[in-house]
Amino acid sequence: MVRLTPDILQAVAKPARYTGQEWNAVHKEHAAMKCTFALSMPDVYEVGMSNLGIKILYEVLNQREDTVAERVYTPWIDMEAEMRTRHLPLFSLESFTEIAAFDFLGFSLQYEMIYTNVLNMLDLAGIPLRTAERGEDMPFVIGGGPCVYNTEPVAEFFDLFVIGEGEEVLSELADAFIAWKEQGRNGGRRGFLRRAAAIAGVYVPSFYQAEYAEDGSFLQWQPLEKEARPLIYKRVIQDMDAVRFTENPVVPYIDIVHNRIMLELFRGCTRGCRFCQAGIAYRPVRERSEEKLRALARQLVDNTGYDEMSLTSLSSADYSHLGELVDQLLADFREEKVSFSLPSLRIDSFSIELAHKMQQVRKSGLTFAPEAGTQRLRDVINKGVTEENLLEAVSAAYRQGWKAVKLYFMMGLPTETDEDIIGIAELAKKVVDRYTAIKGRRGVKVNISVSCFVPKAFTPFQWFGQNSLAEFERKQQLLKAHIRDRSIQFSYHDARVSLLEGALARGDRRLGAVIYEAWKAGAKFDGWTDQFRYEAWTQAFEKCRIDPAFYSERERPLTEPLPWEHTTPGVSREFLLREYQKALQASLTGDCRRSACNACGICPNLGVKIVDWGQANG
Amino acid sequence: MVKYRVEITKDDEIRYISHLDYAALMQRAICRAHLPAAYSEGFNPHMKIAFASALAVGVTSDAEYMDMELSEPLDPSVIAERLAPQLPAGVRLKRLKAVEGKHAALMAEVDQAVYSVEVPLQGNAEDAAKAVDAFNAAPEVVYHRVTPKKTREIEVKQYMQGKAALHVAEQSVHLLLHIRITSSGSIKPGEILALLCHNFGLPVQESLAVIHRQALLSKGKTPMELI
Ligand code: SF4
Repeated sequence: MVRLTPDILQAVAKPARYTGQEWNAVHKEHAAMKCTFALSMPDVYEVGMSNLGIKILYEVLNQREDTVAERVYTPWIDMEAEMRTRHLPLFSLESFTEIAAFDFLGFSLQYEMIYTNVLNMLDLAGIPLRTAERGEDMPFVIGGGPCVYNTEPVAEFFDLFVIGEGEEVLSELADAFIAWKEQGRNGGRRGFLRRAAAIAGVYVPSFYQAEYAEDGSFLQWQPLEKEARPLIYKRVIQDMDAVRFTENPVVPYIDIVHNRIMLELFRGCTRGCRFCQAGIAYRPVRERSEEKLRALARQLVDNTGYDEMSLTSLSSADYSHLGELVDQLLADFREEKVSFSLPSLRIDSFSIELAHKMQQVRKSGLTFAPEAGTQRLRDVINKGVTEENLLEAVSAAYRQGWKAVKLYFMMGLPTETDEDIIGIAELAKKVVDRYTAIKGRRGVKVNISVSCFVPKAFTPFQWFGQNSLAEFERKQQLLKAHIRDRSIQFSYHDARVSLLEGALARGDRRLGAVIYEAWKAGAKFDGWTDQFRYEAWTQAFEKCRIDPAFYSERERPLTEPLPWEHTTPGVSREFLLREYQKALQASLTGDCRRSACNACGICPNLGVKIVDWGQANG
Repeated sequence: MVKYRVEITKDDEIRYISHLDYAALMQRAICRAHLPAAYSEGFNPHMKIAFASALAVGVTSDAEYMDMELSEPLDPSVIAERLAPQLPAGVRLKRLKAVEGKHAALMAEVDQAVYSVEVPLQGNAEDAAKAVDAFNAAPEVVYHRVTPKKTREIEVKQYMQGKAALHVAEQSVHLLLHIRITSSGSIKPGEILALLCHNFGLPVQESLAVIHRQALLSKGKTPMELI
């Protein structure tokens, strides 16, 4: 057990990040358990605690009488320094148990820029970084979350990955572990991994060896064990009403990023934006029923005491009976002064009316994501939004009293020209002018935030070559030069980070060495602007003699085998190809939720179907 | 509208949370307890609760006080019964009473806080006694309070109610400090400890100090006795 003395805690910022004991935290006697899990999102407490997936899995595992799950997040830089000088190992927040003493250590991998934190946490825990070096007494290190649709750059650091939704798989893993343990740890570590590999949705990377072609591109996988299946399909929960959701989420003592109840309305989004990995990864759409949601909301308010609830989903406004649901929730919690919010707004007046009704007000800011500046480019990415939709939506917002609008865009999209970049400035100007036209005076603030497009695995743009650094920076300057209205504020991302993300997102196993070298050179918290150390990464690439542009900027031939295709969300290659071709022709594809199936392959491949309560048959 | 005063603790588990976070956790506990809390009017209603003097981060306390308003009268024992099980680790409900008649705000009423400091001795007991005596004897002692924006000079003896009392047992130093809380300001117990260490040579391991608020008083009475 790790003991934190006052001198340590007085020396670090926000000591309550490390002291646990929060409301609803689960404490169990480890000696009475057959299986122990440490769950982590490898980021600082305030970010990690805001992750819904970990909250759910924490409850699913702790529901079992024979299993305990505890939490661990990344110590901030100051705490890490204290721990290293005092030789304190990484510990769990519930029982202050050393992480190396757990049976499993699970990481939720939400974005690529968090990989060095995983290495750093393993190191702080005293767990050998590479699976091949881990002894019999070490935890099995599990990876999950959206990054599993290309696990390869971090494959050598993980014993196994869970592909898709984890509610059922983690429990199956616990069963397999207990059986293995009770049978005398038959076959050692590898013996357990063989059992694990037999579970649907589990990928054991050390059972596969990569082969590369002479030009350096990926060729194929060589299975090393008979359990190594050629394709690992993601796991999906078909019935969202039946599966356990968080009912007793841990309530932090200190403020965190999302310090409120998160009520998950549904999973999946079928709008089909072609740049979006989540849109493919979480298909098909599966809604919870209104009754279930109302019951969950009641339980969550009673069990947490929160007076704020966010109705979360990839695009919450698409929930089939959102208007009715919001009315009911408002009525249910009127007395308790619970306020509700939607994390993402659709670009239409329905959403504005709703936001208004929810008093999600403070009338400070409203956020929309048109993503591209011209209609042509919006058609390329299948963002089914027109300029008219946007102007109508902001008009409705202005009439309701909003004075600030934030618009999200991307640059570096396929087929993009300078005209499209300038189009962003023009669209923002129209949004400003609309305010003046409606109100008869100036006074709106329009904030445009432009990110650099990162092509992701399992999207129609997975073959596309990312823009170069010079090109991104030229476009940023071009846009800047075209913004002349002082009501418009322009912010953009560090293109160097986006290119690094681009290399990791479509990288292969050879990048493991680069991540390792970058970590050794001091890279950590790479997603934090003030912590990002570009030189650590450039040096690491040089040392490993790897050109990041091979992964980020290179347009892949459509025939090239891709190193991520074996851990699949179930989408067919033909669908992605078809969508890429349609994109190049700026031709639209409809939403399969309430109209025809677009044959993406996911429903038949996984044996699941859409659940939409707006449909007669559900 | 009915007002109640509660006496609660801030224990070791939550030693490091801020006053704002402490207020937020009480608010959530009141919600979980389904007490009919009163809210302010207006667009952004907030729960009507108010606290006495804020506690420094890192200090535990047996003497935290909160006034809360409910929209309907409830028997204090009923409120206590509902609230106590909803308090998280680190908060214990000690007493709860209805506030009768008119009273000034809690914050304005308290004028003194009593702290105990326990810190490992690093040297001998005589030197410790000398240091504390010298501090007690000094007519004026100035503390330099450094904030990100500026440094302020504060004369601390004006905030000392009587002498700092010292007791050395085994290898640990115990101090008892009675500190005045005035409308123009006060001094933190940690700041007095820092002065004792750096200006008067108190031989202790300052970074391992454990500070605890024992009482909060108004003209010698606890806030519970005022109502
Ligand atoms: S298989 Fe058809 S219905 Fe199912 S998600 Fe894909 S496009 Fe939609």
